[in-house]
Amino acid sequence: MASSVSSQQDKVLVEANSFARIITLNRPKQLNALSFQMISRLLELFLAYEEDPNVKLIILKGKGRAFSVGGDVATLVRDMRADDWRVGANFFSQVFKLIYLIATYSKPQVSILNGIVMGGGAGISVHGRFRVATENTSFAMPEAALGLFPDVAASYFLSRFPGFLGEYVGLTGSRLDGAEMLACGLATHFVPSAKLPLLEAALCDVDSSDPVIISSIIDQYSKQPSLKELSVYNRRLDVIDRCFSQRTVEEIISALEREDVHQSDSWISATIQTLKKSSPTSLKIFLRSIREGRLQGVGQCLVREYRMVSHVMQGELSKDFFEGCRATLLDKDKNPNWEPSKLELIDDARVDCYFCKVKHEEWEDLKLPNRSQFELPPYAIAKL
Amino acid sequence: MDRAFQRTQILTNHLLQFSPPSPLSSNACLSYSPPELSESYAFDVKEMRKLIDGHNVEERDWLFGLMRQSKLFNPEEKGGKVFVSPDYNQSTEQQREMTWKRIEHLLERGAFKGWLTEEGEEIEMRKFAGFEVSSIYDHSLFTKLGVHFFLWGGAIKFLGTKHHHEKWLRDTENYSIKGCFAMTELGHGSNVRGVETVTTYDSNTGEFVINTPCETAQKYWIGGAANHATHTVVFSQLHINGTNQGVHAFIVQIRDADGNICPNVRIADCGHKIGLNGVDNGRIWFDNVRVPRENLLNSVADVSPDGKYLSSIENPDQRFAAFMAPLTVGRVNIACSSVYQSKVALAISVRYALTRRAFSLKPNEPEVLLLDYPSHQRRLIPLIAKTYAMSFAANYLKMLYVKRTPQSNKIIHIVSSSFKATFTWTNMQILQECREACGGQGLKTENRVGHLKGEYDVQSTFEGDNNILMQQVSKALFAEYMAAQKRNKAFKGLGLEHMNKPCPIIPSQLTSSTLRSSQFLMDALCLRERDLLNRFVADVSKCKSEGESTQQAFLMCYQLAEDLGRAFSDRAIFQTFIEAEATLPAGSLKDVLGTLRSLYALICLEDASYVRYGYLSVENGASVRREITKICSELRPHALALVTSFGIPDAFLSPIAFNWIEANSWSSV
Repeated sequence: MASSVSSQQDKVLVEANSFARIITLNRPKQLNALSFQMISRLLELFLAYEEDPNVKLIILKGKGRAFSVGGDVATLVRDMRADDWRVGANFFSQVFKLIYLIATYSKPQVSILNGIVMGGGAGISVHGRFRVATENTSFAMPEAALGLFPDVAASYFLSRFPGFLGEYVGLTGSRLDGAEMLACGLATHFVPSAKLPLLEAALCDVDSSDPVIISSIIDQYSKQPSLKELSVYNRRLDVIDRCFSQRTVEEIISALEREDVHQSDSWISATIQTLKKSSPTSLKIFLRSIREGRLQGVGQCLVREYRMVSHVMQGELSKDFFEGCRATLLDKDKNPNWEPSKLELIDDARVDCYFCKVKHEEWEDLKLPNRSQFELPPYAIAKL
Repeated sequence: MDRAFQRTQILTNHLLQFSPPSPLSSNACLSYSPPELSESYAFDVKEMRKLIDGHNVEERDWLFGLMRQSKLFNPEEKGGKVFVSPDYNQSTEQQREMTWKRIEHLLERGAFKGWLTEEGEEIEMRKFAGFEVSSIYDHSLFTKLGVHFFLWGGAIKFLGTKHHHEKWLRDTENYSIKGCFAMTELGHGSNVRGVETVTTYDSNTGEFVINTPCETAQKYWIGGAANHATHTVVFSQLHINGTNQGVHAFIVQIRDADGNICPNVRIADCGHKIGLNGVDNGRIWFDNVRVPRENLLNSVADVSPDGKYLSSIENPDQRFAAFMAPLTVGRVNIACSSVYQSKVALAISVRYALTRRAFSLKPNEPEVLLLDYPSHQRRLIPLIAKTYAMSFAANYLKMLYVKRTPQSNKIIHIVSSSFKATFTWTNMQILQECREACGGQGLKTENRVGHLKGEYDVQSTFEGDNNILMQQVSKALFAEYMAAQKRNKAFKGLGLEHMNKPCPIIPSQLTSSTLRSSQFLMDALCLRERDLLNRFVADVSKCKSEGESTQQAFLMCYQLAEDLGRAFSDRAIFQTFIEAEATLPAGSLKDVLGTLRSLYALICLEDASYVRYGYLSVENGASVRREITKICSELRPHALALVTSFGIPDAFLSPIAFNWIEANSWSSV
């Protein structure tokens, strides 16, 4: 990773336009995967803008066909092989601090999600005040297939979806389009991509941080999209509610199998197949995580997820993350050997371990920045 | 003239709109600041929750999640947060239908799986957790489930035999049938042995004939009877060949598959109540209803086809006690759920007291947070200590119940009676204090604390009137005393072993460290129990020697009996606190629990009996009070962490626990 500082800075472009600051993720070939340096740069910018009275609004977008596919895991795994697991933990600690800052930010952030939004990409956008989806938006949290689990406070925002849709999206990694994101509250607006330049220009004319004013500007370019006929949101919420509300992953799968007997349906069997292909450990720890997250604030969710992700990086409980990255990102044989290989082999005590502190003298719980010095507006703590 | 001048000044201010003297002066309007921003946690609240919830934490969160995610549980957004709570402004009929729909929803998602068809400690504890969570949402939901699973289901399980189990338990668990429990009558509540419903046996047809002979024999308060129940267990005198064999239990179908009331059964509504309107309490009359012989729940006694009465238990007293078995688990369940209502109310009122201010000490200074007033601390913090104590005692009681043996039945009866009475009374006291601590906001139904009083008041009389339960406790202690004396043996069980040791002595000077030592506190609690038991025995014996019957003697010594019951209960609860504390390694968790433990016991030492019987000198009494105020201010910084550890999800608290300014703003109207 011998890239010069300037080339790293190019990966995050900044444009000042009267009271607005437009931040563009600029790593289009890697679909704007977020490197450690990019995260640090974002953290720096957000901190500075909060103090700067000349900044009233932040616009965040991505260059190319993705907003961002999330953390640059391929590089991370390479770096960790060279060094040790704490590099990984450190990466996530930085990401989570950025997310907490965004989730409690005192100025409005408008994220323009005109393309792929995954994992960390969702993390740096959905916790902000306004999320604009378009007809090009495709959202997913596919970590369970990678031997990781939906993090970036996904246990907070997925659990706020209607019914048990959050469990479904997090466990299966299924995609949501712009209309679906709007329906479940993940997006606040839907703007056809053709109108984005106009929207941006209008936002740059704003001299206020008042969310009501900003919302009404975005409203002018918004339209109400209709859900696709086959959308899960249209057709599957009942089944999802019945099955994904079950107590355990095993019970979720058997509930789906029962449904499959009643009404043979390719969507159900595909869902079962996806679950069976994912890392059993990932599924179990994510289910526990979202169930706890439903009842917690965003800060508590991040602290818990940091414990979990540190265990995943440390690799003492399971090496599924490394195996998943090998099979999907490096060797690309798409045939990971999960260990433990079956859901039944993972008991509650084993899942518990992921939620305990990591036993290592240099490791400590995530320390969230103290945000009490800011007059946080009422919407700053929870938005979904 | 001064007044006129002042008035003019105010009017001028209004008209001229003075600009603030300096740009640094604070905004005149109050703003909401979440307590989390100013308070910090000195211990791990998650560990604390695990300790006081005691079991099935994930199961609880899963159930909370099921309710939180369903429209049926009436989610409403207030101040940027979603709260779930029934709409108590609905009509009685609507509330009943909603309660039933919520049960169906939980049923479909497997929330009751194994509740009657599986055996063992694991499922019993899971069931308790499920009940506690349902009670946090709504007492009607809890009660309707309790009647169906614990009373109806429990009666089948404990009073029935194999063929009853096979026939009814699975159908009950999946709600193919809906059960209720017809014990109480208009004329007889706590005195079940006096019920007037009569059952005879017709050997020609092999049927029992159940009859309500007079108006006072109508079954009353039968939860589920007014709308939903299809079956009931009827408690009735059994007359065989002219001999009354005492109270027995029979299964009777009261509605058909279409929901119509069966022939020879009449049902009426109990009407609107001060709370629990989601439960369809009804009244039932039986007009010589015929049921097959197999419908007698025959684990205790049976009637042969030709009409002979057969019982393995000769003694009618013991036979009756066996019939009361299903009520024990109900009492355990009620006791445990009441602790959770205290948790809800305290979490709400403490969070409010950490964000609401009133009065400035000096002009132009910010107003003072409610919880920074020593008097407000004195009102709420001891109640937190009590709630922690009750949590540990509730966990002990549940373990005692699930690990029951035939030998431990008596202990379970005594402990569950005393804890049920103590917890439910304490809960009502806590709810009232919390409601007042929230001021006018406590009156709003959406804020829960005030409303819970109406909902939970019934706990002090159902499944055993608290006063009667406490009398039973004293009587049982009396019996223990007599048995030990008669056989000249040491006391064993019920925690009475301290009676065998020399009488503890209270030091004349009480230092702060003495007042906080668990040894001293335990001594002080034992001393009172011991002395009151001695006095009670002496007074009862004296009455008897003057020619009164034993029963009459008990009645006359009621004042001592009440004090003794409380003394036993306080000491037994304290014991469980010390045991829970002992399981912890040294650290921040243990430290704060140690302080709470001392506070709990010191509050008990404030009871009038300590001065009435002279266990504490006037001077000692003053030291106790002083120490209590000191501990309250020491615990003040932990207040938020202590109530957060109760583990009640935000959605199950109320708007005043969070941003109550936003929740009441014009834009939210």
